[in-house]
Amino acid sequence: MRSWTQDEFIARRKGEWSALDLILTAGKPLHRLPPADISNFSSLYRAVCGDLVHARDVGYTGDLVTYLDGLAGRAHNLLYAAPPYRLRAAWDLVVRDFPQAIRRNLRFFGLGLGLFYVPMIVCLLATLANPEFATYILSNETLRGMADMYSEGHSGRDAGTDAGMAGFYVYNNVGIAFRCFATGILFGLGSLFFLIYNGITIGTVLGHVIAAGYGHNILTFVCTHGTFELTAIGIAGGAGLQMGYALVDTGGRTRLGSLRAQGRDLAIIILGAAIMLFIAAGLEAFWSPSSIPPPVKWAAAGVFAVLLTLYFALAGREPRVKRRVYAGTAGVETTTSSPNTSLTSGRLAGVRP
Amino acid sequence: MKRHHRERSSERQPLDTVAEIETPEHIRFRYQLAGPGRRMMAYVIDLIIRAIIVIVIGLILSLTSLFIYDGFSTGAVLLLLFALEWGYYLLFESLWSGRTPGKRAMGLRVVKDGGYPTGFLDIVLRNLLRAADFVPAFYAIGLTVMGLDPRFRRLGDMVAGTVVIVEDRTRLGHGLVVSPPPTAAELDGLPARPDLGADDLEALDLFLRRVGTLNPAREHELAEIVAPVYARRLGGLRYDHPARFLALLYTRATKRGA
Repeated sequence: MRSWTQDEFIARRKGEWSALDLILTAGKPLHRLPPADISNFSSLYRAVCGDLVHARDVGYTGDLVTYLDGLAGRAHNLLYAAPPYRLRAAWDLVVRDFPQAIRRNLRFFGLGLGLFYVPMIVCLLATLANPEFATYILSNETLRGMADMYSEGHSGRDAGTDAGMAGFYVYNNVGIAFRCFATGILFGLGSLFFLIYNGITIGTVLGHVIAAGYGHNILTFVCTHGTFELTAIGIAGGAGLQMGYALVDTGGRTRLGSLRAQGRDLAIIILGAAIMLFIAAGLEAFWSPSSIPPPVKWAAAGVFAVLLTLYFALAGREPRVKRRVYAGTAGVETTTSSPNTSLTSGRLAGVRP
Repeated sequence: MKRHHRERSSERQPLDTVAEIETPEHIRFRYQLAGPGRRMMAYVIDLIIRAIIVIVIGLILSLTSLFIYDGFSTGAVLLLLFALEWGYYLLFESLWSGRTPGKRAMGLRVVKDGGYPTGFLDIVLRNLLRAADFVPAFYAIGLTVMGLDPRFRRLGDMVAGTVVIVEDRTRLGHGLVVSPPPTAAELDGLPARPDLGADDLEALDLFLRRVGTLNPAREHELAEIVAPVYARRLGGLRYDHPARFLALLYTRATKRGA
């Protein structure tokens, strides 16, 4: 059945391969190519796929098959490129996907908050009951520094310091949240550690500063951004625990499959937590230390707390009737993108002229 | 344990560093998986690029801070560090469909398990989990996991369902040249169409491509193992030099020189 020798085959087909290679080397997404190239591209791709099958079937040598493999692979990646990003997706994340994902995984949200707040409150109360307690947890130096920091009320800093601190809060707090989440892959142990550790430290500092008589200062400082920051740390840790738990209770899947089934929700939740921490960093840098009178700060904290609760409880809920209809598909969507769905979205996006 | 074993054997590929992908056109093609060495090189390149960015912008900011209060530049540097630590990979892998400058330089690309392009959420997961792969230091866990996994995935890849592949840009090699060229007299001794399968041809091809680079004694030794097998299979052929015999056989089978 061998109709051509390998050399004949190469000689006949080489022109088209080079043409395809030329388009690929340009390195542009498909919809940015000149129209002639776009219409050429898919037929060239199919032709190379055919050549590959032929070459393998007939038993041409390894180097030719490897070359065609590589060419077809690169063409495949261009044709089925990821859909271009739309701003709309970011908006959807905030108004719909994030609160929905939190509600779907409410027990981990609760667990994360609990593992953070319980040690915090225990240490806070223990330090208030017996100020000695704080010295078991943190060094005397740290404690003195904290008390000094809040010994005076906040009457505003200069703009330069505020900007500097904003950078610090983003770098430090968002980084902590990400680590708190990521280390959950170690069967939840990392998240567990970060949640409890942060709860203990924050509770102790809070208790110590209050016991030193500066309670009004520190609480007024913390109340507004704390609403976002502490909740977000709890959310990130909860997502980490969810990831660890998926490894333990696999629901009949393989461990990897179980982990991957959570992938979409996890990514959405951690992105949402990051957004909350950015808001918190802005507030902590520019609002909390400002000279705004304490009653206004407390009022803002109250409003934010109520809004945040309502947001998690209500945002992104579908109308009742509709939701029952879509109950089935919602379940399918959460199991991350199957090859088929990414295929269609890729095709739509990639070939868009 | 048992199930794990069965799964692995069922997805076994012809070579352990190759992943096979079936496209919607029902074409299967193969990707070479990227091993730890190549990925570490890409990581180092990215690390150097990030370090250069920090140094350059840090210098610019320290110059400007002579004129304005340096709270701004401290904040900017910290934001920059944050962006480079967490945002660098996110940005490049999502904009360059699975490649960073380092990966590009090493010819690597991140794709989904099935060979499809990665989505933004996949990239978020695989890169945030760097923090776990890094534990306790210098990607110790990540490298260990990678070494144990048949597809070289680190934890981040496993959660996101991605693999890192080598994108081959091999040039089309020149045809195999048998030197000195086979004479008609030599070829006459062989059957017109030796009955050789694809595997046989591939083996011969691989051997003949190495002929120039092998020590002659070693070349002879290797050929002596294989040549009698083919001689017997094709009806008791005779030959003087085993390596030459294999070259002639290959020429005949692929009709080169005809």
